[in-house]
Amino acid sequence: MTNKILNLFDPILIFSAALMGVALYMIFIWAPTETNQGAVQRILYFHVPIAWGAMLGIFVVSGSSIMYLWKKEEKWDRLAVASAEVGVVFGGLMLLTGMIWARPVWSVWWTGEAKLTTALILFFIYVAYLMFRAYFPPGAQRQRLAAIIGVIGAVDTPIIYFAANLWAQAHPPIITGPVADSDSALGSDLGTVLLVATVAFSFLFVYLVQSRYKIRKSEDDLVELKRASSASVMTGAG
Amino acid sequence: MTITTNRAGAFRVAFALIVALSLSVVLAQTSSAQGNSVVSGIVVGVQTDESGNLIQFALSDSSGQVTTFKLSAATKYGLENQAGDRWVSTQGEDASEAARRLRDHRERFAPITVSFENGIASSVVEREEGKLETNLGYLFTVFAITWALFFTYVLYMGRKQRVLQYEIAKLKGIIG
Repeated sequence: MTNKILNLFDPILIFSAALMGVALYMIFIWAPTETNQGAVQRILYFHVPIAWGAMLGIFVVSGSSIMYLWKKEEKWDRLAVASAEVGVVFGGLMLLTGMIWARPVWSVWWTGEAKLTTALILFFIYVAYLMFRAYFPPGAQRQRLAAIIGVIGAVDTPIIYFAANLWAQAHPPIITGPVADSDSALGSDLGTVLLVATVAFSFLFVYLVQSRYKIRKSEDDLVELKRASSASVMTGAG
Repeated sequence: MTITTNRAGAFRVAFALIVALSLSVVLAQTSSAQGNSVVSGIVVGVQTDESGNLIQFALSDSSGQVTTFKLSAATKYGLENQAGDRWVSTQGEDASEAARRLRDHRERFAPITVSFENGIASSVVEREEGKLETNLGYLFTVFAITWALFFTYVLYMGRKQRVLQYEIAKLKGIIG
């Protein structure tokens, strides 16, 4: 039942790996070197797609939590947990890659500007969500309260996206999406690399969430089997 | 059992993040500044006299090394504001505007290039070319950490899967 959870021949993983190969070629060989920042600018091609994955994660957590609160179906709760766990990996990487980029460009690892602070808050929301689930006693109440945390957590996402433009501090302005400033938007070459890398990381995100979802399902199956086992022992004893 | 597994998982994720962060610090600090008479970086300190005239300023280069520069009346400036308007002058002409411009650069994390001789800046301009050749280590660190963390997470899931398989098979044997 569980032997195909981490399927290395999963079409999503194969497609993601192939696209990642193309993205790496474009990042390191095809894309021109940016004149102001030099080689470190290429960190952007990792940082932005990973940040996109982190924000996608909280959207999935929030959407699944709303569906769970509405339908009360276990599958939505499992999807929220899976997405939160993958989201914390993407969120942690978003912070680390951003810090490593900031060191040579800003000469500091971290500064308390708006975009960085709201991104850190997103990471803490993920961690709080997972810690709450780990320490609160299992049951419907835990799932309901976790779902509420997941829904509230999504409020941070639009704040992160607009923070660079709202507060106009040190972080570069929005370069992708509907409100990107045309003066600061990426050129066609850089935009193409960013798009390919974002699609590749998105498929990786889907594969990881899918795998984690299946593991969560197996964990629930195990709990059911333990209950059945206890019941059969009790019946045998009776 | 579930709580214990979840706690262990949370600790593993936290541990992986700490290891990754430590690695980044160690690798990034191996970059060294070039010891020539031109240096680029971010303004980290500006000192003025009672009249607000610039006396000296400090610059942090891409390797984190902070250098303090003194000024002479002949020190040239070519600095832009946030809108891109360029201000060209010398220390002798307008030392207070120089202080204001450098403070603005410090607040915006805008990089500058300083040409100097014996610790005295001869020109202070916008960074015209920042190839940052010594910073490939940062790019490598990002690449290494990204894939190390993803592989660690996949290994963590694989291990979890094996434990689940074993326990489910055992229980099925008991029941069946």
